[in-house]
Amino acid sequence: MTSTSFMMIIFMILPIFSWCATSTVAANLSPANLDGLKAQFQTAMKSFSDVASLHYTLAGIKELGVQPPDSFCNDIKKLVDKSNIESIYHATEAAKTLANCKLPVEDYRSVVTSTLQSDKSTTSEIYYAVSSSVNLGLTVDEASIEKRLNTLAKTDDSILSQGYALLTGAQLSQPVAKFYADTVNDLVQQADEIDGRTLQYEGGVGTTALLVSAFYEVAEKAGAAMKIDPKQLHKFASYFSTKRHVATLRSAYYLTKVFKYLSDNKNTMPVVVTRVSPSAISAQNPSVLVSVSNLLGQPVGEISVVAESAKRKDDGVVVISKQKLTSKASDFSVFELPFYDTKIPRGFYTIHLTLTPRGDGKLIGLTDNTIDVKVTSEGAIENAELSVSDRDNTAQAKTYKLTYPNVQSEKLELDYHQKLVLKFQIKDKRTGEFIRVQQAFLRFTNKKSNKEIIYLAEATDGSNSQYKVEVDLQTNANDFRHQSGAYNAALILGDQLLQNAYEWKLNDNIQLSFHEDSQADKNHQNLYVPRPEIVHQFRLDEVRPPTVVSLVFSALTLLPLLILFILWIKLGFNLSGLPLGLSPLGFHISHGAVFALMFFYWKYLDMFQTIRYLALISIPLFIFGHRVLATLAARREKKA
Amino acid sequence: MSQLGQVVGILRKLNEEYQISTPKKLKLIDAYLVYVLLTGIIQFAYCLLVGTFPFNSFLSGFISTVGCFILAASLRIQLNKANQSTFNVTPERAFADFVFAHIILHLVVMNFIG
Repeated sequence: MTSTSFMMIIFMILPIFSWCATSTVAANLSPANLDGLKAQFQTAMKSFSDVASLHYTLAGIKELGVQPPDSFCNDIKKLVDKSNIESIYHATEAAKTLANCKLPVEDYRSVVTSTLQSDKSTTSEIYYAVSSSVNLGLTVDEASIEKRLNTLAKTDDSILSQGYALLTGAQLSQPVAKFYADTVNDLVQQADEIDGRTLQYEGGVGTTALLVSAFYEVAEKAGAAMKIDPKQLHKFASYFSTKRHVATLRSAYYLTKVFKYLSDNKNTMPVVVTRVSPSAISAQNPSVLVSVSNLLGQPVGEISVVAESAKRKDDGVVVISKQKLTSKASDFSVFELPFYDTKIPRGFYTIHLTLTPRGDGKLIGLTDNTIDVKVTSEGAIENAELSVSDRDNTAQAKTYKLTYPNVQSEKLELDYHQKLVLKFQIKDKRTGEFIRVQQAFLRFTNKKSNKEIIYLAEATDGSNSQYKVEVDLQTNANDFRHQSGAYNAALILGDQLLQNAYEWKLNDNIQLSFHEDSQADKNHQNLYVPRPEIVHQFRLDEVRPPTVVSLVFSALTLLPLLILFILWIKLGFNLSGLPLGLSPLGFHISHGAVFALMFFYWKYLDMFQTIRYLALISIPLFIFGHRVLATLAARREKKA
Repeated sequence: MSQLGQVVGILRKLNEEYQISTPKKLKLIDAYLVYVLLTGIIQFAYCLLVGTFPFNSFLSGFISTVGCFILAASLRIQLNKANQSTFNVTPERAFADFVFAHIILHLVVMNFIG
């Protein structure tokens, strides 16, 4: 908080470009990052490790209008794996992009034919084989390939397989291509919609771009227009336009291809509307400049642009309605909307644009385009005054009037029983009303140590918005760490909608004297020193009594047993009445066995085993017990 | 002081009545009850003295004494001829119940003793 550079960054950034965090994500498309794609291909061209990269790079750079040199022909021949159909496919495709590169057909013929005839080939392998055959000039048996594709369509319904089937169809004759072109709509239904705004396929940008360019390729071969709902095409375009950087060369190549298809005049084209003027509108920059193009940045022909409305973001006030923009370029690619007007107050605005092309409707994305701008204004600091007074307000306050940008010449000396008060107002130059700003700080800089102490200026409520900041040398002494000495004071003002920010040095020489001794500055470097090591402590054992105590008490517990026997003997325990015989004996043994089992349960067994043994013992116990008790009952009956 | 004297007098009378009118069988059971009570008291005193560290062991021991006390008390009630009208069980049946309940009590106590 007290470093100068931090303050400088805030001072610079706020008035220039600041509302990225608050703007909503536009529904507009953005132009393709052609420079990025071209750079990606050119970096890859410096060295190749496999033939697939060669294919994608050479084909990609050719799509972007750069003809790769024939020297790559040798690289192709060197890197190709003659036994792998995919490698052969990439080699033939790469060779196709070069002006003069002939590959030895006989080397590949056997692999190509065996792939086409094998029952185990996947759809992608069929595509590679058919493509290679066409590129190498080999004949292709269309009927058997159609049959293979139909069988594969039943077993493999993954999206990529269907894409490869389309691409294969595009390589065959027109009726076949037409059959596949009719399946495009089904494939589009299988795409996933995100947020209602983009459509994509599982597998990322490479797969989606491959599929969409396959749609175009097969429609082109079939000679018919692509049957796709324009809204869905726009959603695909929206997905692609968000991909500024792609990771693999394969994705880059297919993305380039799809951008070219989407910018081709023959097909339905999504329109891209972007703002090319700076985002802040002011007297020096009074108009919004809008560019209209296709995804590759090329103009789309005669078109008229109307600003349906311009609404302020915080309260929805509409300032412009149905205003036509003027065309600034002859190719109808740049349009202007004058925005700066005394009737339009400062704030953030969203402009809704609608486009109307002159020709027939091959363009999509003509409505729902928005541009965000902000209208700023210049401010002026007024009625600034600095006053020095006693803390108790008893003495008369000495007030100095300040004018921006003058530095106060008087030297101020403040004691620990005084306070400094700064008051000011900021006026919007255009409307003349007093405004509030997002940042209003009073900064003191210790001249010797360059440490900064910053106070927030707060504004009163109401229309006159007077800012006030008070520094009391007794209550605020801690902020200064009681360091007496010479200080600078500066006022810092900034706001998103303020055209000019202020860093106004108020006074160069303020002498502050504090009551207590100065404290040393806190060394912030210590924050990054290693902390003391925390040694793990295991849970301490519970406190237990000494063994002696436990043993004594165990013995004490057995004492009452002695007392019991004594009492029983005194009472006359009738042992003579004990019946003798098998049953009583059995009873006593099984009863004893139960207690023994309890002991074993405690020491060795678990509940299940104990229950089982108990069940076992309880049978003799029950039988013998019953007999003994019956005998006793009979004896009692006899007696009575 | 007279109150204390009264209490002592009452207690002595109680003791005489008890010695005379209680049958021997019940007196034997009463002795057993006193024994169980003493054991429980000693266990509780130990716990108060050294703390409840193996709480489960303390609980199982204490509950064992409490359970034995209750079972013996119910045996005594059932064997008392004066209660013949309320309970309709033979002494042998009462004793069999006593043994059965004790087996279950000991099973639970052994499980909990840890």
